[in-house]
Amino acid sequence: MAARRVGAGCWQRALWLGRRCRLPGGRESYRSSSSSTALGKTVDNSQVTQEEIVLPRRKTWDKLAVLQTLASTVNRDPTAAHYMFQDDPFLMPRNAVNSRLYSLSKESGRNAAKYIIKNFPQYFDKTFAEPNIPCLMPEALTPQTEGLSEEALRERIHLRMVKESVDMFDQLLQAGTPVSLETTNSLLDLLCFYGGGEPRPEKEQEEKEGLEEPEVNASEQKAPKKRFQRSSQSSGPKWRENNHAERIFKIMPERNAHSYCTMIRGMVKHEAYSKAYDTYIDLLNERHKADVHTFNALIRAVPYLKDRFTERWELAKDFLTQMAQQKVQPTLLTFNSVLKSLRRCGGVGRTMSLLVLKEMEALDIEPSLASYDHLLSVYYKGVDAPSSDIISEVLNEVEKRSFTAQDPDDASFFTTAMQVCCDLKDINLAYQVNKALEKGDNWKFLDVDRLNIYWSKFFSLLCMMEQIEVVLKWYKEMSSSLFYPTPKNILDLLQALDAANQLEVIPSVWEDVKQLGFGRRQDLLEEFLSLMSRDQHPSEIQLAFAKCAEEIKAVHEPAGQVQVPLEWTGSALGNVVVLFARAGRTQDAWKMMECFQKTNRIPTDKVMDEFLNCAKQTNCPDEAIKMVKLAASLGLLSSQRLKSRTEEEFELSETQKKALESIKWDGDSSDSDSDSDSSDSDRE
Amino acid sequence: MWGGVRGGGGLAARLLGAARSSARSKQELFSTSSMLSKQKDKSAASKDGSPEGAAKKQEDGAGTPKQQLLDIIGDMKVEVSYRKKLQQLKASESKKQAMAKLEGPDSEGSVPQGVTEDTQRGKPLNPELVKAASAVASSLPRNKKQTESELLAQLRRHEETTDQQKKGGIINIRNVISEMTIKRQSPAQRGTRTSRRISLQLDEDDKRLRRERSSALSMDSRRSLKVGKRLNIFTKASTEPEHALETVSSPTIWDLEFAKEVAAVTAQPPRNGFEEMIQWTKEGIMWEFPIDNEVGMEDDAEFHEHIFLEKHLEGFPKEGPIRHFMELVICGLSKNPYLSVKQKVEHIEWFQKYFEEKKELLQEI
Repeated sequence: MAARRVGAGCWQRALWLGRRCRLPGGRESYRSSSSSTALGKTVDNSQVTQEEIVLPRRKTWDKLAVLQTLASTVNRDPTAAHYMFQDDPFLMPRNAVNSRLYSLSKESGRNAAKYIIKNFPQYFDKTFAEPNIPCLMPEALTPQTEGLSEEALRERIHLRMVKESVDMFDQLLQAGTPVSLETTNSLLDLLCFYGGGEPRPEKEQEEKEGLEEPEVNASEQKAPKKRFQRSSQSSGPKWRENNHAERIFKIMPERNAHSYCTMIRGMVKHEAYSKAYDTYIDLLNERHKADVHTFNALIRAVPYLKDRFTERWELAKDFLTQMAQQKVQPTLLTFNSVLKSLRRCGGVGRTMSLLVLKEMEALDIEPSLASYDHLLSVYYKGVDAPSSDIISEVLNEVEKRSFTAQDPDDASFFTTAMQVCCDLKDINLAYQVNKALEKGDNWKFLDVDRLNIYWSKFFSLLCMMEQIEVVLKWYKEMSSSLFYPTPKNILDLLQALDAANQLEVIPSVWEDVKQLGFGRRQDLLEEFLSLMSRDQHPSEIQLAFAKCAEEIKAVHEPAGQVQVPLEWTGSALGNVVVLFARAGRTQDAWKMMECFQKTNRIPTDKVMDEFLNCAKQTNCPDEAIKMVKLAASLGLLSSQRLKSRTEEEFELSETQKKALESIKWDGDSSDSDSDSDSSDSDRE
Repeated sequence: MWGGVRGGGGLAARLLGAARSSARSKQELFSTSSMLSKQKDKSAASKDGSPEGAAKKQEDGAGTPKQQLLDIIGDMKVEVSYRKKLQQLKASESKKQAMAKLEGPDSEGSVPQGVTEDTQRGKPLNPELVKAASAVASSLPRNKKQTESELLAQLRRHEETTDQQKKGGIINIRNVISEMTIKRQSPAQRGTRTSRRISLQLDEDDKRLRRERSSALSMDSRRSLKVGKRLNIFTKASTEPEHALETVSSPTIWDLEFAKEVAAVTAQPPRNGFEEMIQWTKEGIMWEFPIDNEVGMEDDAEFHEHIFLEKHLEGFPKEGPIRHFMELVICGLSKNPYLSVKQKVEHIEWFQKYFEEKKELLQEI
């Protein structure tokens, strides 16, 4: 489509067209030759052909049309990391930690450059670009107007210089120059928005992608906390008693509705809820009307104003009724605020939120994703036996539409919905959520950390509910190009593999785990080892398992000064021994056996039996005797049984027999013996 | 507009086909054509409200279907050209300005003539053209040299104007681009625009969804989301007073920051190179695609007027060296994007006058 559009505007193309079609003159064109002399055929013909060729005069189109069309042809590459990373093997993030580090460093580089430009604009006075590119040039942040005047004050307010504005306002008052109501109001706007503090310099960072942390190490428990931190951070400093805004508000000779409204909004934003309510009462006493934004802010403050659920709802309803009385038309945000407050109203919220949605429908206000998000958490947060009615209805609604952002809370819908699907253990609903996410531009609602939460939840659900083939397909598709699996995801995957009896896939999963940086997670290692050592497998699988076991062993051993080796647990040691033994690596297995003694762990009977089997298969009676000795030195009950097994199953030489005999009588004082033995076998 | 006209053309073609297959009776043909005319009437009425002509012609157009068809087509043409005239009227001012600008180089070029100009520019003319010019000159009995040089001088002048306007054109493009960048001025304005855009989008969404909702309402009634009472606090108000309020007040810092916050919800890092380029384009860093050559189209000449110049050769002989020469000239002109259509026509007219002057000499042969 785009190609055709491009062509239409092109002279070359026009010439080419000219050669191929009949010209308005009604004859074929042979442009550069003089042989075409047949002028003017019949008049009728020419008229007919004239109508056939309809050449568009000019096509004006969006400057992004071509690029958007091209971009729509590109799909995600399941083998590559996100585009924001450098396309370089060394700089490709392989796990969550790296991806966070790289995106942060990219963004901080950008911010450093911006900082330099902002703080040293004098060095960037040359316009190199032709035409000039304003966004690459330093902004004019120094006020142009000097002196003491309302004009200068207004400029400082516009440049958001909080302190300078306040100072100038005070100076103007001292000089006896009245400041107009309008200017004072905009000063109040500024002060209330920032809550009396200066605008934070890292304001730009927040919007940037890099700082939307791919918080991956943190699994589900951590993530909401993180989000909460951010939201509280965005509200900035708390409202202080008698701050500049309050002071100026008090000394204002006249106040209009706007002055009151902006004060109320500022107080709600900076968590001075009861003060906001008092100001609202003042506003009513002064016979002013609040605007819709103020009501929205007040409704959001409701949960902090009242303690009991019914009282909260009554207050919210009060505000709504007053809006209707003051003829303030509610917006989508009004109802979203109501729903948000209903999240903190317990059972009352459940009955009322549906009424609110009905009211929206009656007023022809289409709910946004935030409305549905609030509804879902009203219905599913902390509910014991949820039913899937509401969410399936919500999803049916959501599926029909492609959403645009209208409310800052829109972003959390998809993660909430997926969480609900997980709670309900309903894979079909999860697929439905996923379908809705893929529709239109809906995917944009998931920023990097929400994306990780969403997909790891989805993946856990898949592991729980789906066939293993489907799970593995999704795993290949998503892993590391879409999100980085959490340790819990890997555990889920291992369980799914176990349930489907597909343990031979484990070595490849282990490779991924190493890449993801989970190679030192004790719980994961235990799970790997226990799964691998549980059953006997064909020999090649056993060999692959032994390789994994060796790598796991390496994590537990001191290797360089950088990392402290992990502590062995008894089960891990035993599993490693079993794995080595099954792969026929008797020497390795024996070394692991020795670790039992070093770390004061006790091998289980199963481990020792496996080791004996291995020693028998590889015909290593020495190792068998050493093992019996070890068991005896640890004072195990099974040492006697092991000894008789050794005697029966191995063809022992005389010295070996003697050695075996001597063990029993050693009893507890065999420490020196086993020590010397172990030093013997340490020669490798 | 084009779609409509083109649709008409399609209909006409179908009708023609019907006429050719003489299996149908005249009556039928007449009925179809009258239907067509009705459609035509409707569309014409909705467009510019002058369907009388078509109707009138339809009344006495009881003759052959072909005649009717021609009438219809003629009507369409009238409509199209009428629209064009309107556009021309609108653009006439800018055109005048453009012409005033172009007159400078023209008058300058017409002052000196003769052999001296050969040396004025080191750039050689297209050898083929020179050959053609000399062929024309040699077809004249006398002053062969002079004729040739005169012809060549004119050609060269044409090239010069081209060059000048090429540079001028670049400057013009620059102006256009600088205007584009100037548009983004204060962050406040930007803010208004985004917030307004958002509110517009909201409106659109609302409208669209309202329609969907009303259609879906009947079958959704059994659902629990839909069943039940409403709060009954608000009454639906007409949207118009709301609109008036919104436009009056200038955006406060609250509005600006809210718009930013909402925009940040769906702000995503680019997923591929093209999206990155889209982002750069939005930021004004990158040259805007498509890079086309329609920038100079403000002089209200359509591109076929630039390219198909045969119609201006009516006054020339239909064959012979002059014809050949002139076809080469229009071929060159048609590929030249730097001259306006009027200049091109003037260029051709100069040759016409020139050969007219030399007509006696030509006759003598």
